[in-house]
Amino acid sequence: MELQDRLEELQSAGIGVAAISYDSENTLAAFAERRGITFPLLSDDDSATIREYGILNTVVAEGLGPNGNDPAVVADIHKYVAAAVFDSPQLRRMINGTPFPGTFVLDADGRVTARYFEEFYRERVTTSSVMLKSGIGLSPIAAIGGTTAHLNFTAYPSDTVVTNGTRFSLAVDVEPGPEMHIYAPGAEEKGYRVIGFNMAPSEFVRFEAVEFPQSEIYYFEPLDEYVPVYQEPFTVIQEAVVNASAEIEDVMEEVNAITLSGTLDYQACDDAICYLPVSVPVSFTLEFQNLDYQRSSSR
Amino acid sequence: MKMPERNACLVSMIAALLLALPMSTAAQDRAPIDVHSLGSQVGEHVPDFNLPDQHGRPQTLDSIMGPNGAMLLFHRSADW
Repeated sequence: MELQDRLEELQSAGIGVAAISYDSENTLAAFAERRGITFPLLSDDDSATIREYGILNTVVAEGLGPNGNDPAVVADIHKYVAAAVFDSPQLRRMINGTPFPGTFVLDADGRVTARYFEEFYRERVTTSSVMLKSGIGLSPIAAIGGTTAHLNFTAYPSDTVVTNGTRFSLAVDVEPGPEMHIYAPGAEEKGYRVIGFNMAPSEFVRFEAVEFPQSEIYYFEPLDEYVPVYQEPFTVIQEAVVNASAEIEDVMEEVNAITLSGTLDYQACDDAICYLPVSVPVSFTLEFQNLDYQRSSSR
Repeated sequence: MKMPERNACLVSMIAALLLALPMSTAAQDRAPIDVHSLGSQVGEHVPDFNLPDQHGRPQTLDSIMGPNGAMLLFHRSADW
């Protein structure tokens, strides 16, 4: 389990962890032993906490109710339950009482600082990606680094092992050179290139939103203009999802690795000169593992 | 003009369909599920809990909480 691999880092960052499901204590004990899990797995076997948290998956009950054939209900079943699960009475009983899967990140007072819930049941954000986005000390693995005339950068994926539906991130830590500023979102209105990954389309991976940190407004005297820039070290995070459609799963059966290639693009200026936009080639290779359908009963 | 029996039957079927209509309209008014709007939002407190862990020990929000916060992961099941 991926979270187990990150446990030490979470603990040294002072972050407590628990995973909650409707499984019985016995099921959880067997699972923990089988997978070597040392953090708390909590048994909410009557789904009372799941209900109290307001995240009970209500789509199954709806599908079984009087509006079961309503196109909107059917569409939600495909998004949140899986038609195959719903078609089987046994699986339907199994899924009743489960939550919409997701993660809450809390501050020390128990207030939510970030939350991650998926819109498609086959997609799941990784703990590493959550850590990265929440600024919880994640040590970069499989990083590529470089120095240009304007900056130092370290680019890395949040995860090095992915499967169908893995929602992960590509991150780049940037340290602007002395007197340098790097253009931030909003600067494109003035004709500047905003920093970001420009990844080639991948058959297997869909690129989603890019998360930028807060920028500052810089007064560029030579042109008498105000532009959003970064002058201090910052991190840009590109979200990505491994395709989880049934069709692609067949294609990917023989795939062992996914290589994502593209460029890190940016434009920099110092207080006198505006340099041309720069494209630095970047490439990430992720190990791909097919979905693990192993169940405790198949031990 | 005398209405042939078959047409009368059709009329009553249409009437039945029209009567059934308000129900299906109500179903279509259902708001689609928006997982992002469910449960505590950013800035809000999450509810406390008291649940046994895999060793049978009771755990609460307090016992899970680290000095700088916590991550709570809700899973469908560890078993399937």
